[in-house]
Amino acid sequence: MSEQIREQVSAFLDGELPDTETELLLKRLTRDGELRESFGRFALIGEALRGSGSQILTRGFASRVNLAIDGEPAHVPALATPPRASRWWRPLAGVTVAASVAAVAIVALQQRAISPKSGVSPLTAQNVAAQNVTAQNVATPLQTAATNQVPVQGGGGPREALSYTVPAASTDAPSAISPARLTNYVFAHSKYSSVLGQRGVLADLLIEDDEPQLIPMQRAAQPSPAPEKRVAP
Amino acid sequence: MTRPVSAFTSWLVPCALLGALLSSVPQRARGADDPREWLERMNKALATRNYDGTFFHISGGRVETMRIVHRVRSGRVTERLQSLDGSGREFVRANDQLTCYLPDQHTVLVEPRQDRGPFLGSLPQFDATVSDFYRIEALPATHIMGRPARVIAVNPKDQFRFGYRLWLDEKTAMPLKTQLCDSRGQVIEQIFFARLDMPESIPDSDLAPTVHTGGMRWVRQGPSVDNASEALAAYRASQLPPGFRLTVQGAQTLGGASAPASHLVYSDGLATVSVFIEQSSSDSGVAAAPDSQAQAPMQGLARVGSGYAFSTVVQGHQVTAVGEVPAQTVEFIAHSVKIYSGGGEIPHH
Repeated sequence: MSEQIREQVSAFLDGELPDTETELLLKRLTRDGELRESFGRFALIGEALRGSGSQILTRGFASRVNLAIDGEPAHVPALATPPRASRWWRPLAGVTVAASVAAVAIVALQQRAISPKSGVSPLTAQNVAAQNVTAQNVATPLQTAATNQVPVQGGGGPREALSYTVPAASTDAPSAISPARLTNYVFAHSKYSSVLGQRGVLADLLIEDDEPQLIPMQRAAQPSPAPEKRVAP
Repeated sequence: MTRPVSAFTSWLVPCALLGALLSSVPQRARGADDPREWLERMNKALATRNYDGTFFHISGGRVETMRIVHRVRSGRVTERLQSLDGSGREFVRANDQLTCYLPDQHTVLVEPRQDRGPFLGSLPQFDATVSDFYRIEALPATHIMGRPARVIAVNPKDQFRFGYRLWLDEKTAMPLKTQLCDSRGQVIEQIFFARLDMPESIPDSDLAPTVHTGGMRWVRQGPSVDNASEALAAYRASQLPPGFRLTVQGAQTLGGASAPASHLVYSDGLATVSVFIEQSSSDSGVAAAPDSQAQAPMQGLARVGSGYAFSTVVQGHQVTAVGEVPAQTVEFIAHSVKIYSGGGEIPHH
């Protein structure tokens, strides 16, 4: 990001960029994916630096800033980052898996997940189907249809829905949540989610590389950490 | 040396007293500056005004540019949400259905749905229950996009839910900027408008999808049934994080499934968690179609946008909790689901 653009973005975030320049900046952002990405990092850092609300600058925050300045994604924490510093670590807080091991897994996963087009996004059913068909050498008519992308036009009920959701291979051990099924759940959930949340859910589904970021941790079916207070059944 | 300090503290004390006094004003006495009043104003603006805007959606260090067009005409809402970036995805909500055009997936997804709140979202009425679990406060007013703005914070009181920070246009109460935050105030996701017009009327052409649907697959989710059968209703979370209550119990045949999944919705008034319970196909009471696909058991946590999903197996049932809540909330709820078969007493939350 050039110094000039940096200043423009900064002014824009502060609401001080003149309208004409804002137009130009936004046009540029819309065109230039790389600029947009660095803008995103910049925006997040700018927000944090301005300390909107009651944000507390933690050590983790500092290392994230450093990472971002070095051109690394701001949300991938260094392994040295204290576990509670970044949001990516938070899910681990109550997990019995040794934090360091899990951390490596998460960071590796994040890096894979954020590289564009590297994985299977939840709705690339035909891709999933293709993989499954190859792997298992089982082609049901529906899978074949999906693989060949035969248009299934209009109308109909749940049967059509089969064509875009392909179950994971059957194994004895439970597998991670399959992206296709996850998409179905999220979609069905968005209808009932609070309207503010719904916006986020739908916006997330709109995003191109919105593959759900699977956290590959097999856990024993044990209760989650006890909350401080539970509502009696 | 001590003089400036004591001068400073003597100035502080009245301020602290004033602050304490202000915060002890009964909530009933809601004036024009009450943060709740502003949230309600925002609700109304989002639901009833026409608007056409471009906004940035920033999540996980990624920025997406999106356009939203929202029209209310004769009480009917038509809305289009479009990704202006690579994917070209578009959602159009009209005539009681949500249509998702996914050109990158060569798919159009159609889901029947009731006319509900706008895509961009609003907040429910802030009743006492919500206040039990969120602290709502006004932060110092500021400017955003060169416009005076009110800043309202909705802070969760525990770690089972996320909070919001909202920058509301002084003039229209539209949220020019929104942040989703965790219980420590760290920003998880944000949205802010680069452009926001509120025209008197919006032509149909601005609400029509720009995607060409030729050659795309059309996929329809089954309709959801809000009153599920007795059998499907025999599931409940036996314990819930504070403040969550059962608000909807339904069933829906999700794409790929041979039998309807039971769908329970738990809400604290602001955050919502869906729980899907599916019988594993081996012991399904429903006659499975010959080509029905066996769904493999799943176990684990997944990130879903700004929220989480957690899936586990309970008594031969696949239980999956999904919501815009912290990971521990979906885990907690999924783990606490009980199957009440054989006429046992079902707790009513």
